[in-house]
Amino acid sequence: MTYSTGADLVTLIVAISERINANKDELNKLDAALGDGDHGTGISGGFAVAAEQAQALDNPTPGDVLKSTAMALMNTMGGSSGALYGTFFLKASMLVKDKTELDSNDWAAMCQAGLEGVMQRGKAELGGKTMIDALAPAVEALKTSDQSLSGTMKQAAAAAESGAKATVEMVPQFGRAKFTGDRAVGHQDAGATSIMLMFQALASVT
Amino acid sequence: MTARNKKLINQPENILSEMLEGFAAAYHDIVKLDENGFIVRRTPKAEGKVGLVIGNGSGHEPAMIGLVGPGLFDVNVAGEIFTAPGPDRIVQGVKAADRGAGVLVCVSHHAGDLMNAEMALELCEAEGIENVEMVVLYDDISSAPKGRESERRGTAGLFFVWKMLGAFAETSGDLAACKAMAEKIRDNTRSLALALTPGSSPISGEVMFELPDDEIEVGMGVHGEMGTGRSKLISADATIDLMMPLILEDLPFQSGDEVLVLINNSGSLTLMEMFILYRRVAQQLEAAGVTAYKSWLGPYATTQEMSGFALSLCKVDDELKALWDAPANGAYLKQ
Repeated sequence: MTYSTGADLVTLIVAISERINANKDELNKLDAALGDGDHGTGISGGFAVAAEQAQALDNPTPGDVLKSTAMALMNTMGGSSGALYGTFFLKASMLVKDKTELDSNDWAAMCQAGLEGVMQRGKAELGGKTMIDALAPAVEALKTSDQSLSGTMKQAAAAAESGAKATVEMVPQFGRAKFTGDRAVGHQDAGATSIMLMFQALASVT
Repeated sequence: MTARNKKLINQPENILSEMLEGFAAAYHDIVKLDENGFIVRRTPKAEGKVGLVIGNGSGHEPAMIGLVGPGLFDVNVAGEIFTAPGPDRIVQGVKAADRGAGVLVCVSHHAGDLMNAEMALELCEAEGIENVEMVVLYDDISSAPKGRESERRGTAGLFFVWKMLGAFAETSGDLAACKAMAEKIRDNTRSLALALTPGSSPISGEVMFELPDDEIEVGMGVHGEMGTGRSKLISADATIDLMMPLILEDLPFQSGDEVLVLINNSGSLTLMEMFILYRRVAQQLEAAGVTAYKSWLGPYATTQEMSGFALSLCKVDDELKALWDAPANGAYLKQ
C-alpha cells in the first residue's frame, strides 16, 4: 500500500475499535492505579460509536472519516479523554480536508497537527506520563521514516509501544493523575497505552 | 484483595439516567428533566436575565443537580460518573439556559471540565451563538501554592459562588458583570479538605484510594487526588487547629473580616462530628478576630461514601452578604 483512501480510514477506525475493545479490561486496570478505572470502558465506547458512524458515511474522504471520528469521540466519551482524542482527530482532519488520498508525508503532517492540538488543549508536555509520551515518538517515527507506508506505520507502532512502556517510571505532571504523585510510579499510563493500541491497529491494516 | 463497598444500584450503566429520573420525580415542584437529559428549572427565570449553566461529572450529589432552581443555576449538564460532559452537551446546555441576555458557563477547575468547556465555547463561536462567557472556578489551597491560584482545583467552597452568583444573575442582564461577580466570590474563597476513609467507584465498586485505618490525609481532592500529607488520626480540635491557620493565612483572612463558613461533608461523616468540628472552627475564628456571618454544615459536594470534610471560608462585604441572604430554592440549597 502506498497511500490511504477514505475507505482505508474507515477500515482503520474499525480496527482501532476492535483492538481497544479487546484490551478494555486491561486499560481499566491501568487507569484504576492512577484514576477512576474507567479509561477502557470510556474509550472503547467512544470508538464503537466512531466505527459505527464511519461505516455509515457515504463515499467519504479521509478528512470526512477523521472529522466524524473526532465528533463521535468528543461527544460520546466526555472527560479529558474525549476532549483530547477528539482534538487529535479534529486537527488531523482539518489538515487533510481537501485530499482524497494520504501518503506518508500526509500521515506525518496530520499526526503532527493532531499532536500539537493535544499539547495545546491539555497543556501537557513530553515526560509528564500522558498520552503524549506515546504519541510524540510515534509522530517522530512517521516524520523520519524512509520506508514504504506500511513499513513507516510499523515503525510508528514500535515507537508508540516503547513510549508507552517508558511511562511506567514517570511521575504524572498533568490532569487528575498529577495529584497521585509518586504513588503513580510503577504503573503504565492508560492514555499512552490506548495511543499505542491505536498505532498498532494502524500498522495492522496498512 | 481490593476492598469493595456495598451500593444499592441497578445496572452500573444506568446509574446516571436512573439517578436523574428519580431526582426529577422527587423534586418535580422545583426542577424537571428536559428532553436533552438536563436538570432545568421547572419555571425558567425571567427573560432578559443572564443564564447560568454548569457541567460536571456525576457522583458528587447533591452537586450540581441539587443547585438548580430560583436564585441558583438554570441548567445542569450532568456527565457520566466522575467524567465531564462533552462539548456538544455544554453547547446544548447553553441554548437551554439562554434567556436573551447571554449565558455564563461555570467551570469547576478540573482538566476534563476545563477542556470540554473551552471546546464548547469554540463550538458556540463556530455556530454563531453570541454572548457566551466562561468562568473558571477554584478554591482548594492544597492543590497549588499561593501565587499560582489559577492552577488550583475547584472543590466544595464553590458552594459560595453557586449561591451568591445565582442570586446576582437572578436580577442581572449583564453577562460581564455576572462573570466579574463569580470571580470576586472565587477570589475571596479558600478551602481545605481532609479525608478519613475512601469512597468507592459506583461503577467498579472498588475503593478510590488506599488510606490506612489509623491515618488521615489533608488536602485530599474530590476524586481521591493526593493532598499535602498524611498523618496519624488526631482529635477533632487538633484537626481544625492544623487546617485553620493554613486557610486563614492563604487569603489572608484578617482581624475584622466577616466570613461565610462551610463545613462540607464528603459523604459519610456524621452531623455529630461536624458540630464538634464547627465548635473548634468558631473558637479559632474568634481568636483570629474574624466574624462568622452565616454558616452551613452539610453534604453539598460529596465523593460517594468517602468520610471526611472540607472547611471553606469566604470573605464577604455588604454586597455579598445581601446576595447570600437573597432567596434561593434548589432541592438541596434553600434560603
